[in-house]
Amino acid sequence: MSEKVLSIENLVVHYELEAETVHAVNGISLSIGKEETLGLVGETGAGKTTAALSIMRLIQSPPGAIKSGAVVLNGRDVTGLPIRRMEAIRGKEVAMIFQDPMTSLDPVFTVGDQIAESIALHEKLSKADAMKRAEEILELVGIPRSRALEYPHQFSGGMKQRVVIAIALSCNPSLLIADEPTTALDVTIQAQVLELMKELKNKYQTAMLMITHDLGVVSEICDNVAVMYAGRIVEVGSAKDIFLHTAHPYTEGLFNSLPNINARVESLKPIPGLMPNPAELPPGCAFAPRCSYAGERCHTSKPVPRELESGHIVECLAYDDPSFQIVRRWGNG
Amino acid sequence: MAEPMLVVNNLKKYFKTPGGMLHAVDDISFTLEQGKTLGLVGESGCGKSTTGRVLLRLLDSTGGTMRFEGQDITNIQGAALRKLRRKMQIIFQDPFSSIDPRKTVSQTIREPITTNNIITGKAEVENRVLELMEMVGLTSRLTNTYPHELDGGRRQRIGIARAMAMEPRFIVCDEPVSALDVSIQAQILNLLKDLQRSNGLTYIFITHDLAVVHNFSDEIAVMYLGQIVEKSPTEELFKNPMHPYTKALLSAIPIPEYGHKKERIILKGEITSPISPKNECRFQSRCEHAFDKCRSECPPLVEITPGHLVACYLVK
Repeated sequence: MSEKVLSIENLVVHYELEAETVHAVNGISLSIGKEETLGLVGETGAGKTTAALSIMRLIQSPPGAIKSGAVVLNGRDVTGLPIRRMEAIRGKEVAMIFQDPMTSLDPVFTVGDQIAESIALHEKLSKADAMKRAEEILELVGIPRSRALEYPHQFSGGMKQRVVIAIALSCNPSLLIADEPTTALDVTIQAQVLELMKELKNKYQTAMLMITHDLGVVSEICDNVAVMYAGRIVEVGSAKDIFLHTAHPYTEGLFNSLPNINARVESLKPIPGLMPNPAELPPGCAFAPRCSYAGERCHTSKPVPRELESGHIVECLAYDDPSFQIVRRWGNG
Repeated sequence: MAEPMLVVNNLKKYFKTPGGMLHAVDDISFTLEQGKTLGLVGESGCGKSTTGRVLLRLLDSTGGTMRFEGQDITNIQGAALRKLRRKMQIIFQDPFSSIDPRKTVSQTIREPITTNNIITGKAEVENRVLELMEMVGLTSRLTNTYPHELDGGRRQRIGIARAMAMEPRFIVCDEPVSALDVSIQAQILNLLKDLQRSNGLTYIFITHDLAVVHNFSDEIAVMYLGQIVEKSPTEELFKNPMHPYTKALLSAIPIPEYGHKKERIILKGEITSPISPKNECRFQSRCEHAFDKCRSECPPLVEITPGHLVACYLVK
């Protein structure tokens, strides 16, 4: 087995509020190898961001708490590390790009300062040397170095996201977590930024966890895909497995509800209903209330992960019947 | 032949800014037949929302004319405008900020009905509210809930019910599904389509998402910096895009298919400023095909094949 940059084992994260306990992440396991990009796909409230923040140990606590499980980063479990040690890891070994470039930069410092800050901190360089490195990185993400002295408000959305990428890559992390990095951008700018991320990822051989709800972005950049629903990973496999041999009814529903750009249809086929409240999860499969294949057992017992083919794992009771198959409506499935 | 429901000629909307005149909408013309949908597509800042707001008379135009059902509505005021507004409604993008958090679902839907005296009598109004809720797929159990208890999809349904309460003829849908998850997005798109069929509604559908508009519109107008650069029946636009910007826009969409390889046109740079634009093609600074003429004159929108209009000197 190849060396893993990140492996998460059975991670459980709850938010313990006064009135209720929100079961945000309910026992997920995943791993990312060197130079690999894993797409974490799911809808709002599926627990994607909570999972990512747990890796960085950035869950606000209280109310959030990692209840059990391990997050092994470059061979060491970070869940129990003291905050001081964690601070040395953040930005150095693992860096994060957030969705909204407008709010992730500090408006009162120049972009050069903001890039240099993390370099000076982690690489023990002098301020002047750090600034020089910052300018080099800025050029790398396609911004002229002269603009290092400008403030975030002087940049457009796409440029700001480039600056955020520059900060994330400034210390050459082994893992990059990108939380919906292009969702706030226009499509032509999204194409530019995705292209840049692909290029830099190859150049620096960075492993990446790409959180997104956009299956188009996934097909663009990810090697492997994990589909998350109500705090569980319901299907994981290579991009080929997920796109061509879709196994979980929820994944199927996601594909079916996308308007297809290549073919016009009379009406779309949405997934009926809503995601369950994570504070009151149903006793059986969390997707059962919305699933057209669900049988009686799905409402009472929890499905366990099942490996269909090597590396393609699905969590669905319907596969107890060996002849079970789902129906994809379009795409190249 | 009867005049189309909506006829827009040389519509302009400029805003005064400290840096000069901002040309948000700059000389656009189109017509829209009753019962049809026009998709208005473009990136942030291209003037598509401003166009929608000017059409609804939520903003006053700087120049040009608008005719709705045979009536010139460009400058009407007072009672005539109030009457017009019942026929024209808008559905906003963000269902989180477009409804009053202190009102329950039924209060929110009731408000436009009582304000405009569409129906009188307490029982009749209550019935109408329930009817509207059913129409948009909200169960009557939710009458007394507040917006914060509901998810984005349901809130958007409230927005739609509110618009439908006026029994409008024409609705501007301003990015109605952009804030929603895909599975919910499909539910709302289907609802809007059903309402159009059963009520003969006419839509202007504003969006940046070409996949959504492909499924929804009869015709598409692509906007760039305040101008329509290409307009065509939907199928034709996707099969045969002609303007370099439309081509780039189409090629930039990530397709959710495995191993999908296509020629991608990555545009250089970003959208330029709409403040005091020069007399040139607005797209020329990002266009790889631009030549001298593009820098000295703004190309007009001309019909290349029947119904397919393009504003580009390269297209003949």
